[in-house]
Amino acid sequence: MSENTGKNLNNNDSLKRINEELFRKLQLAYFSVDSKMKVCDASKNLVNYGFPELKKGQSVEDKIDFMIGMDADTELELPVVSSPSGIPVSVNLMPSNDKLTVLISNAERSTEQHRMLQQAANENELLAEKQKKLMARLEQASKELEDKNQQLEEAARLQTSFISGVSHEFRTPLTSIIGYTNLVQQDLSKMSEEIAPRIVKQDNEQYLNAVQRSSKHLLSLVENLLDHGKLDSEEIVVNPKKTNLDELFNDVSLLLSPLSETKNIELNVNLDAPKGVDVVIDDSRLRQCLINLVGNAIKFTDIGSVNLDAKLDGDELNVVVRDSGIGIGREEMEKIRLPFYQVADTGKVGTGLGLTITERIVSLMGGSLSIESQLGEGTSVHLTMPAPKIEREIFSAEMGALPTVSKLKVLVAEDDSFIADLVVVMLQEKGIDVTCVANGALAVEMLQTKSFDLVLMDIHMPIMGGYQAIEKLNQLGNSAPIVVMSASATESDQERAAQLGCAAYLVKPVDVEEIISIAHTVTSPQQ
Amino acid sequence: MVGDFSVGKTSLTQKFVNNVFSDKYLTTIGVKIDTVEVDDTKLIIWDVAGRDSLSPVNVSYLVGAAGVVLVADGTRPSTVENLFDIWSSVEKRIGDVPCVVALNKADLSDGWSVSEETVNSLHDRGWEIFKTSAKQGDEVGTLFETLARKIND
Ligand SMILES: Nc1nc2c(ncn2[C@@H]2O[C@H](COP(=O)(O)OP(=O)(O)OP(=O)(O)O)[C@@H](O)[C@H]2O)c(=O)[nH]1
Ligand SMILES: [Mg+2]
Repeated sequence: MSENTGKNLNNNDSLKRINEELFRKLQLAYFSVDSKMKVCDASKNLVNYGFPELKKGQSVEDKIDFMIGMDADTELELPVVSSPSGIPVSVNLMPSNDKLTVLISNAERSTEQHRMLQQAANENELLAEKQKKLMARLEQASKELEDKNQQLEEAARLQTSFISGVSHEFRTPLTSIIGYTNLVQQDLSKMSEEIAPRIVKQDNEQYLNAVQRSSKHLLSLVENLLDHGKLDSEEIVVNPKKTNLDELFNDVSLLLSPLSETKNIELNVNLDAPKGVDVVIDDSRLRQCLINLVGNAIKFTDIGSVNLDAKLDGDELNVVVRDSGIGIGREEMEKIRLPFYQVADTGKVGTGLGLTITERIVSLMGGSLSIESQLGEGTSVHLTMPAPKIEREIFSAEMGALPTVSKLKVLVAEDDSFIADLVVVMLQEKGIDVTCVANGALAVEMLQTKSFDLVLMDIHMPIMGGYQAIEKLNQLGNSAPIVVMSASATESDQERAAQLGCAAYLVKPVDVEEIISIAHTVTSPQQ
Repeated sequence: MVGDFSVGKTSLTQKFVNNVFSDKYLTTIGVKIDTVEVDDTKLIIWDVAGRDSLSPVNVSYLVGAAGVVLVADGTRPSTVENLFDIWSSVEKRIGDVPCVVALNKADLSDGWSVSEETVNSLHDRGWEIFKTSAKQGDEVGTLFETLARKIND
């Protein structure tokens, strides 16, 4: 149409007017330039789009910005150009016969629609990009958190294994201190008055008792640390057995009275239980709990007294530990159950583990613990746990347990020379014939040349460990019952020993009475 | 002015020509033409609609151009990488004209994510690079003046 228009325009004036009318209605504007870019012709309505009026012979580049840089033979379509008036126009450059005709039309309507679409699309894409960026950052952050968490877990694990490791190391020397003082105590008690004057004997006995109690106390602290290592790993094992409560409470009283005496406070221990009755309970765990609770009470009491009152109510043991100490404020109350927490500003030191562990152990024993306290007025801890009653047997000595064991031949395999010597001496004291070797290989060798009634086998030994030796002995058809002595109290270790057919599993520090009683049971069928 | 959508072509132009800036985003349709004197040179700036994932730069708008400002958004790495593609379509249509690169939105230092590597590869093309901020005006004058000088040389 535009070419037709161009021809007609040159030919006829009336047609030219009609065309101009058409241009006006369609809002079409135009101009044409020659090869030197001088204006040949132009529509008046260019001004409607904000362009200047063009006169023949003018240089188009001086008048219309978008023509700068164009050649007369450029054929080009610019779909949307914003004109000086602000109205978007469509521009067509059409070269023909040494002339360039430029058509300008209103593009407002199509542009408006285009603008809305493009705006929405671009904003959408920006949003999507932003979202992607945020997601990446979130992912990064969560990865960092995960790493941090892992580091924390690792740190906690290291701490736990460090504590367990250190406590383990402490246990062995403590065991030998307790064992040796025990031996010296026994020797001392046998000494006649001619050899040692009574007064010296009494003094020494007192000193030794103090050493003995302190060591036991230290051992119970080490047990706490060890248990703390196990708190997370569910490894605390509870072994209920027949227990004489009178003896147990007496022990606790003897163990802790030196502590109260040094602080000049009264310690009253009182057990209300029917006579001649034992209960089924894990005695060492109960002892540990009582030592923790009473120990704490003494620690936080400077004037007055600490009372340990226990009552056996049917098959339930109720214990109250009451002190007249500094008490616990409401805010502290929430925190005292946290491991390692120490009440502020009291100047009292300790591991801060006692209560955490006690609570956990009590719940493992099927009981519960509650605390009542008022700042400045003292604290009382109530503890309740199941303790089924059973009749006390008239025990052992007269039944000939000792004569039986005294004929026994026992082989001890233990690499720690202190513990080995201790076990040997303790067993010899009971008249047992003891042979001791330092590793599993030697034990196997010994058992092939000599017969024994019982083998006490340590687990961790150089050259050949306990389990390996037991496997070997099983292969060789060994008939002597084997009792494992180990520092490890984990269930998996105990299971392993059971699978290998061991007669019993003793956790160090082992008590000579325990060995005797086991020796008695495992050897009795053969008598 | 060519580059991806929303990198700041319009903002740079408006900052340079009219010393104004707006935070509001209004996409450019087609082309908007502005004129400005730089020293004794009259620059006719064609602010072309940005490239988006659906439509490439319409290189018809570049016919007759004496130089090009490639614009990217320094907080959107893809817009920088796309400059290479955009340049090759520009070059195909109008030849190897003088060119400067604006890495825009330099004021957004938090989100800035142009790698050393990318900057090096832009340098390797022989382009002069400006870290511009249409918002604060940094390097905007230098950007256009450098291009004007290159065109006049
Ligand atoms: N902070 C900051 N924002 C900027 C800068 N330059 C542009 N913007 C913002 O970025 C958005 C896009 O800017 P425009 O100048 O419209 O981008 P464009 O390249 O012309 O976009 P199209 O026309 O769609 O291709 C707007 O919201 C601006 O306010 C800058 O230097 N700094
Ligand atoms: Mg724009």
